[in-house]
Amino acid sequence: MSQFDTIVIGAGVNGLVAGAVLARRGKSVCILEQGDTVGGMAGLTSSDGPALAHLIYNLNSRVRRDIGLGGKDWPFKSKALPTVSLSEDGKHVVVDGAAVRFADGSDHPQATACSDLIRRLTRYGDLLRQLAEAPPPGGDSPVSRAGLKQLWWLGRFGLGVKRLGKSEMRAFLQVLLSNAYDFILDELPDGRLSGILAADAVRGAATGPRSPGTVFSLIYRMGHGGDVTLPQGGTAAVMETLSNAAKQAGCTLKTGAPVVRILTDNDHVTGIETASGDRVYAKQVLSSVAPLPTARLAGLHHFDIEATRRIRNIRARGTTAKVNLRLSRAPVIPGLPGNLLGARLLFAPSADYVEQAFNPAKYGDMSSAPVIEAVLPAPQMDRPWLSTIVQYAPSDLSGGWTDAAREELLQTTLATLARISPTLPELVEEAQVITPDLIEQATGAPGGHWHHAEMSLDQLLTIRPANLLGRYAIGPKGLFLCGAATHPGGDIMGLSGRNAALMALEKTG
Amino acid sequence: MTLKPDYDVIVAGAGHNGLTTAAYLARAGLQVLVVEKNDWIGGAAVSRELHPGWTYSNCSYVCSLLRREIVRDLDLPKYGLQVIPYEGGASFTRDGNYFAYYSDHDALRREMARYSPRDADAYQRYSQAIMRQCRFIRPFLLRDAPDPASLRPRDLGEMAYLVKKAHGLGARELGETLRFWTMSIGDFLNEHFENDLIKAHLAGSGIIGTGLGVYSPGTAYVLLHHYMGDIDGGIGAWGFARGGMGAISAALAASFETHGGTIHTGAGVAEILTQNGRVTGVALEDGKVFNAPVVASNMDIKRTILRHVDRDVLPEDYVRAVDRFKIRGSSAKLNIALDSLPQFPAAPDHASFLRGDMHTSESLPELERAYDDWKIGRWSEKPYIDMLIPSQIDPTMAPPGSHMMTVFVQYAPYDLAVGGTRSGENWDEAQRKAMAETVVNQIEIACPDIRNHILHMEVRSPAELEREVGLTEGNIFQGELTFDQLFFNRPIPGYSDYSTPLKGLYICGSSAHPGGGVMGAPGANAARNILRRETRAGRMKGYAA
Amino acid sequence: MTISPDLTLGLVLGPVHDRLEALSRTRNWYGWAGYAAPASVESVEFEYFALRNQASLFDISPMHKYRLRGRQAEAVLNRLVTRDASKLRPGRVGYAVWCDEEGMVIDDGTLFRLADDDWRLCCQEPMLDWLAEAAWGFDVEIADESYSLAGLALQGPTSFAILDAAGLDVAHLKSFDHAAAEPDLMISRTGFTGDLGYELWMPWDDATAVWDRIWTAGAHLGLRAIGYEAVNIARIEAGFLTAGVDFQPVQATERLNRGLTPFELGLGHMVDFSKGHFNGRRALLSAREAPRSLLMRVDVEGFKPAQGALVYHRKRREVGHITSGIWSPTAKRNIALAHVATPYATRSPTQLWAEVYTQEEGRWEARMARLTPVEGAFFAPPRARATPPARR
Repeated sequence: MSQFDTIVIGAGVNGLVAGAVLARRGKSVCILEQGDTVGGMAGLTSSDGPALAHLIYNLNSRVRRDIGLGGKDWPFKSKALPTVSLSEDGKHVVVDGAAVRFADGSDHPQATACSDLIRRLTRYGDLLRQLAEAPPPGGDSPVSRAGLKQLWWLGRFGLGVKRLGKSEMRAFLQVLLSNAYDFILDELPDGRLSGILAADAVRGAATGPRSPGTVFSLIYRMGHGGDVTLPQGGTAAVMETLSNAAKQAGCTLKTGAPVVRILTDNDHVTGIETASGDRVYAKQVLSSVAPLPTARLAGLHHFDIEATRRIRNIRARGTTAKVNLRLSRAPVIPGLPGNLLGARLLFAPSADYVEQAFNPAKYGDMSSAPVIEAVLPAPQMDRPWLSTIVQYAPSDLSGGWTDAAREELLQTTLATLARISPTLPELVEEAQVITPDLIEQATGAPGGHWHHAEMSLDQLLTIRPANLLGRYAIGPKGLFLCGAATHPGGDIMGLSGRNAALMALEKTG
Repeated sequence: MTLKPDYDVIVAGAGHNGLTTAAYLARAGLQVLVVEKNDWIGGAAVSRELHPGWTYSNCSYVCSLLRREIVRDLDLPKYGLQVIPYEGGASFTRDGNYFAYYSDHDALRREMARYSPRDADAYQRYSQAIMRQCRFIRPFLLRDAPDPASLRPRDLGEMAYLVKKAHGLGARELGETLRFWTMSIGDFLNEHFENDLIKAHLAGSGIIGTGLGVYSPGTAYVLLHHYMGDIDGGIGAWGFARGGMGAISAALAASFETHGGTIHTGAGVAEILTQNGRVTGVALEDGKVFNAPVVASNMDIKRTILRHVDRDVLPEDYVRAVDRFKIRGSSAKLNIALDSLPQFPAAPDHASFLRGDMHTSESLPELERAYDDWKIGRWSEKPYIDMLIPSQIDPTMAPPGSHMMTVFVQYAPYDLAVGGTRSGENWDEAQRKAMAETVVNQIEIACPDIRNHILHMEVRSPAELEREVGLTEGNIFQGELTFDQLFFNRPIPGYSDYSTPLKGLYICGSSAHPGGGVMGAPGANAARNILRRETRAGRMKGYAA
Repeated sequence: MTISPDLTLGLVLGPVHDRLEALSRTRNWYGWAGYAAPASVESVEFEYFALRNQASLFDISPMHKYRLRGRQAEAVLNRLVTRDASKLRPGRVGYAVWCDEEGMVIDDGTLFRLADDDWRLCCQEPMLDWLAEAAWGFDVEIADESYSLAGLALQGPTSFAILDAAGLDVAHLKSFDHAAAEPDLMISRTGFTGDLGYELWMPWDDATAVWDRIWTAGAHLGLRAIGYEAVNIARIEAGFLTAGVDFQPVQATERLNRGLTPFELGLGHMVDFSKGHFNGRRALLSAREAPRSLLMRVDVEGFKPAQGALVYHRKRREVGHITSGIWSPTAKRNIALAHVATPYATRSPTQLWAEVYTQEEGRWEARMARLTPVEGAFFAPPRARATPPARR
């Protein structure tokens, strides 16, 4: 049918970015998307409800530069939101940037400690971002050109760590591998503060704040300054920006074209075949779907047995559901001033609460008292949507995600929200319950996991998504992973796609 | 005015690490005094006759980690130490079956194949992975952990050694090593085995003594911590010290005293004395004062710094870091005198595994739930137990025909939750009794007639361990073995060389690298650093140098 | 699966142990995969000569045997082994090696194609876990036949005549053929001795009956029961490798970098790069050109077996070691297999020496013995391949 330099499978954040980066470097690129629209998991919507991802906090500026949007800012407007830690007694706490106070405006006794902690995390996050902005090292001899590049990059990171100063550097190397629970409680005994930080440390993950490694994920979230922003026009606006960038860079973008096979010849990829039997040829294929589905597309027999074992052992248990609630009017949250109704609202009243919420998920049950992140994107609108992320709702729920189970999750969510807004359940006109199984069904992401692979220490950096797969290349020559499962991971960040594209360019020159 | 010191070094605490430090220093020609608060020595490596005729290793109870370099340097066999390996172990199930672990490779294969032929084959892959990690880590045990923030030649040298060893692994093995160190034991076992009982049996070593669950990242390392020892070169083998664990302490003490050392028991350190930012000696609880320019503390770092050193002489951020050092009690113990050997109905007569370590946990989720109980301040409803009857092998432990049973219990909190409060004070007689009842119920899975054989039972919660041995919160490792408290982070970042900001004060117990267990490595490493930094002699002799 | 208590500790008894026990004079048992196997039965020397001159019977039941059945069995095996399994026709047996992802040999064994979609793999090392890994995602069923299928090796010049006398017609079997001689009795013209010989495969519980039938038929044809030590002499003469001796099965080694590629083991001809991907192919493509060492067949100067000796280049630089070394009673040569580092193995193979230690009546001596490379097997009689086979 047609010949390109590169084919990208999937038009989610990472697929679009990868395509745009490659096209801007002179490659002819074809992006193939199974769905009828672009946007992947982040843009997943049900009818007119809000998208799966409702906020952005780590969209990367190097990505912006490399897909040709240069300049200082993204073309869409995005508003930084304060975070409110909701409290049953109405004494909510507002965290705005690094400033901390009660929602009624009064001072919080641990405000200084909390601000210091947030600044520290942001500083560490800045270092980790540097790690995220390049493919992880490994594979090449230190005397080769690629090897020298890696050494330089590692050296720069090392220098960054050194620049922290002796005692901060030691602290950094200690907390990096620590658990969020102790780390936060050492500084912030107030449950409202420890709770929301603990919740942020485990958001989207199959882990609780007491698990070692959760400080790392907390720092990671702070890698781009720590601001949480609400894009105007919603996630769709972000996706449109990315797909326009890809098109402007010269990518051919085909939707409704599910890839069913990756073609190979003599251990080298030659193209793909779509469900309709069309073939598109290229010497490189970048796949933004998860490693196992990618390997299946190419055929498992093209992979070493150890490689398929590693791919199979990648842990990806989704634990997070999206519950969108259409309300008859904006809710009333006692103690919360109206101007904060549009903030990021978190219900995680203590670090222990978050840990307890996680307990059932370990055994395949949903939390009876879940952690909830709620956003009212347009509180002033008639019949506004309340977009909530509910944790934990494990993908491997015992008994499966039946309609009854989804209804139970909805009722649990409403009961939990009622703890801070007793009248809220009465306002609900319509509910969308998007559980991990539905996310998997719609996107193919294993376990409906946000990051395609758990962001735990044993699946990060050079060993993300698995040992020896950290350099994006996988199996036959010319095949690369470019999705959230690769370093540095998911969210609306775009670095996995960009890094993979750079790696693919390095391999072809 | 300069006072001639009474000793060159005073070691605070006669635990096995304190005695190890003392013995090395005495051999190097120093005048060393060991002070101990109890009337007996040994810390948590003791043999105590708490029921007439029965010897209890009432804290630590089996031996493997004790470094053979130390045994040889200090000539411990000459002073009575005999370590006898024991055979295998078993996990019993509620439905009357068991899984036995044999040291005979082929017997183990056949036993595993009873439950899963694939697991029987996969065991080779599992043990290869574990053994490779053991081989990797063992050379680091008797070396100092480098401070990555330091540019001192020693730190750079140790760092270079680490990089060289890591590079020597090659890309694949380095990746596997990084994974292993950051994984949970549950995930690691799930990657190798399919059978619940086999996984549960192997998982125990990943949680013993820690405030982590089988699904917590980092527990694969804890397992390694229990496997990296050896007996006569058999890596991972465990055994009994003949005469109980106190035999180790007794041999160390004898080695120490033979080389001119002095042990003073019955009065603990009240205060570590300082002058002009330097240690000058110790004042004991009984009012005695001994002067020395160097004090090595075998007590855990929290106890040493927060209770016995004047805060004003230490930097504030150091004290804060010590205050935040995580040292949580998570284990309890039952020591039981038995009138005769109880029946294990599931086991065949004379089963060799009855002489090994026995357990009653059947799956990873069951073990994880035991951890969930602990998190909220309760002892586990179905605790993991590590139960042995050493008197079957060691004739010195109980009168002939009678037996001594040691039952290690995971998890039991230090800060027991009772009526809305969480505190070590909550451990009263009634609580201890209630916990013992839970544990005995668990033992009954393997041994239903156990109650008919009990002559005497000592019940030790973490609170007892703290009160008697001095381990803060009853943590058996003198500090959690988590990444943030291991290697160069142990005990406090920047002080992994056994020193403290107070000149002349050293940490020689398990709070220091490489951590807990009856290993002796922190003690030997501390001695090496004290000699290097504080004496003209400079170098330690022996294999551990 | 059913869980039944198996409390046997120590060595367990093989399917024909009763017969071996009755014949054993040396009572010299060793552990082979957990079974009590005879190292010798009466005398190694006479057992060996029976093997080379008459016929020998040896229990090979402790071998691991796996059955692979299903639509994609061939695909799985081709993914596993380095040779092209698709070229093996039903009724044929093939020697095969398989490697890990780094191209290091995991094990070697024999691959039986029983039918288009039905295969059996026989090998030394337990392989169920690895086969299950290889088969994950493929339409194939794997059964471990290690404990249900017994094997007897009948080897030696009169082996054909013995089978004939036992009423088993195998005249048509060429080397590396197999056929069902009777229901539940498969015979393959294979062996580990390099001589004329057969291997008989039957259900575990039939083994004693088959043994007796062969034993009776062999009464006038010089048949002897033999132990492993005699087999070992024969296999070194034939130039065959033993796992754990001539190479370390890479999945069973704790130390790093102990693995060897097929090229380093002299098995390069077993690697077929043209068949598509197989495990370790990418690593082997680059390893092919740069072997780190070579397993050489050598003739050792003098008469003392060189087993375990270190190998030196020009008597000075240590460059390898002897893995297997014996005096060959048939070739009348002092033969050995030696691992020698490149480039010494290729550049100056005539400058290799083994440092042989001898102990004679309490006196130890060390001696440098010159090694002479030998091409091919040390002993390869034409009778091994002749069809129809000779009767004696």
